[in-house]
This record gives sequence, C-alpha cells and structure tokens, in this order.
Amino acid sequence: MSVDARQRIIEATYACVARRGMAKTTVEDVAREAGISRATVYRTFPGGRDELVDATVSWAVFDFFAKLYDRIQGATDLEEVMERGIMFAHRSIVEHEVLQRVMQTEPDKLLPALTVESNRIREGIAEVLAPFVVDRGLAPGVDLSNAADFLARMVLSYISAPGRWDLEDPAQVARLVRSELLAGVVVPASGG
Amino acid sequence: MTYRSNVAHAQGELRVADTVVPFVAPASAESPHRVRIIDGTLACLARHGTVKTTVDDIARESGVSRATVYRAFPGGRDEILGAVVDTEMARLFSALGVRLGTAGTLTTALVGGIVEASTRLRDHAALHFLVEHEPGMILGHLAFDESDRLLVTASRFTAPFLARWMSPHEAERVAEWAARIVLSYAISPSDRLDLCDEADATLLVTTFMLPGIEALQNVSTGLIDITPYPTGGIQPGGGHDTARGGGGAPA
Repeated sequence: MSVDARQRIIEATYACVARRGMAKTTVEDVAREAGISRATVYRTFPGGRDELVDATVSWAVFDFFAKLYDRIQGATDLEEVMERGIMFAHRSIVEHEVLQRVMQTEPDKLLPALTVESNRIREGIAEVLAPFVVDRGLAPGVDLSNAADFLARMVLSYISAPGRWDLEDPAQVARLVRSELLAGVVVPASGG
Repeated sequence: MTYRSNVAHAQGELRVADTVVPFVAPASAESPHRVRIIDGTLACLARHGTVKTTVDDIARESGVSRATVYRAFPGGRDEILGAVVDTEMARLFSALGVRLGTAGTLTTALVGGIVEASTRLRDHAALHFLVEHEPGMILGHLAFDESDRLLVTASRFTAPFLARWMSPHEAERVAEWAARIVLSYAISPSDRLDLCDEADATLLVTTFMLPGIEALQNVSTGLIDITPYPTGGIQPGGGHDTARGGGGAPA
C-alpha cells in the first residue's frame, strides 16, 4: 500500500483513540474513520489492532519531535537549544490532551509502546544535540557519545517528570541547563 | 525519618500514595510471620507476577497456613502486595542509608548510592518479571506524574545524607538528580555505562555530577550570571526577565 494510505490509516487511528481510547478502538472503527475497507487496513497492517496502535504511537512521537525540531531552529548555541527545547517539550506534554487522557485511563496500554519508543527517541535527541555540543566545545577528556547520551537521558527525564524544577520559569530552566545538564559536558562559560 | 510510600490498591493495581509513614520495615508488630510471607510473595511474583499469584500460592511458598497468612494480612492479597512494595522500598532505602551514611566524601556517597540502587534494581527478580509481563503496573510508576512522585520520595530520603556537603536545598536537588540518573539507566541500560559498576559510576559522577553540583552552588549564590534566552512564543503571557539564581537560594 502507498505511503498515503498508511498515513491516512494512522491518522484515522489517532482520531479514534482520541475519541474513545486505545482499548475500544477496533480495526472496524479505523476503517470507517478512514473511509476504506477492513481488508485494506489489514493489507497495510497485517498485525491488526496491535500493529496499528504501535504505529500510531510511533507516529505521534515522531510528530512531537518534528515540532520540537522546528522550535529549536535558529537557536544560536547549545544553551539556547536546550532551554527552548525543554520548555517547549514540557509544555507540549502537559497540554497534549490525547496523551494526558490515555495516561489517565489506560497507562497499561500506552506505556509499553512509549517505552519501546524511548530508545529511539533518546538516540534522536543525542544526534540533534551532539553537533551543538561540539560547536560549544566539549569539556576536556569527555567522550562525545557518552555526553550526548547522558544529555538526552536527562532531557527526557526532566520533560516528562520535572520534579522540583519549574519548567515554566525561564530562570529556573536556565539554571537547570547550566548546572545539572551542561556543567560537566562543555567547557566553562564562554561569557554571555 | 519518614518516607512517602504506603500503598493504596484499586483493582489490584499498585500505587505509591501520598501518605507519610514512619521509616521502618512494616513488619513484626502484628505477626511474626509477616516478613516470611512477604519474602514468599516476592518469590511468587518473580515466577508468576501479581495476576496469577493467589493467597494459596503465597502460603505454600512461605511455608505457613492460609489462616496464618490472613491473620498477618487480614486484607488478603491486596494488603500483602502493598506490604511487599513498602518493604522493598524500606529495604532499598536502608541499604542506601548505610552506603550514604558511611561515605567519607561526596564522590563516594554519590557513587555508592548509585551503584547500590542500580544493582538492587538490576537484581530484583520480581521487578523484572513484572516489567516483562505486566508492564503497565510497573511503568505506571516510572512515567510522568507518578515518576515525579517516585523522584520526590527517593530524594527526600537520600537528601539529608548529602547535606553534609551542601545546603539542604541543594542536597534535595542533587538527590533528585541522582535518582533520575539511576532510573534512566535502569529502565534503558546503556551499552556504554554500567552504573552497577563502580568504575563506570565513578566516571559518570566525576564527569557530569561534580561539575554540575558546583555550578548549582555557583548559580544559586549568583557567581554565575545567567540570562535566560527569550523564549519567544513559548510562553504567551509570561515575561522573560533577566533573573538570577532560580528560586529560594539558601545561604
């Protein structure tokens, strides 16, 4: 099946999940929502419902990071990338109605899929950050892959669970970025 | 010393609740068999998970009668599962307390705590079975708001030990940070750094944590001047004043 059909089915699945949750979404519903036959859905996603749901979570995560990537375009250095990215990502998670609702009602359905995604997400974040780290100046003796992986882990941790940090407050985010996140990773402050 | 835990259970689901309970292993007082039953339950969980473990299984595994189980835990299976979570938390925190309390330097405290917690998580057979076969139950504690609560619980207990080297306020932040690190590497192990390994944990602490702690202190005392970048459009109503030092910097 074409990329187009695949995309249409995924968006239909997302719409169904948004309306009635993951458990109650059937292949039948998705076919109706997309305006195609059940057979076409199964041709595109032979694994049926489970495969559909996984693909939809994957797509939603990708969509989220595409927006995040847009958000950091034009940032001039690593600090700015991280501050903008963290604030935007945290806010997007808090305001993501479908995510929040599914987390409330069926975390057991969503979390395993998100956990599978999280390795890919982490690698993606590390890849985006690495060149900024190099530009900014890697601290002496620090391994770039270790540093990028560490940063990506921490970013994921803070945006999903801020703990004592108020990620709505730019001053706190600035402090977080310059201490727990970057202090060991890059050479000391280049003025600013 | 108190820690936040205690367990409320709805439909067999475990949840870390908001109540503050005294930091003692919730054992012995009512029945001399409680610890034995809890350990028997852990063995059952490691083999069958929560769904398939019955009170009969627990009694058999613990070598006591069904009646004895109910005398120790009148609430039955749900109460036992709650006690298991409390006990395992208490055991983890006691072990952490020993490592942190005997450490002579900040580095050994951080490394010891991280290695201890990481190793216990790695070797916890019941936890592994549940992550594998009943992921919703465990992952629920590791995501979003529940994860926040877990971080606060863990750091509230460990922070006082770190306050020997920094202000109580910073100690809480650093304890929370260490808990994040342990959780991140426990949930998705790295092929680069094994935090159960003393040398790897030391590398992580000295490379990333010690400079970060120093920066936390400098930023909170205003030594480092920070001006957040304009957040253009992210916060429609919010200003982005030049600010120093985040909130509530201690002396």
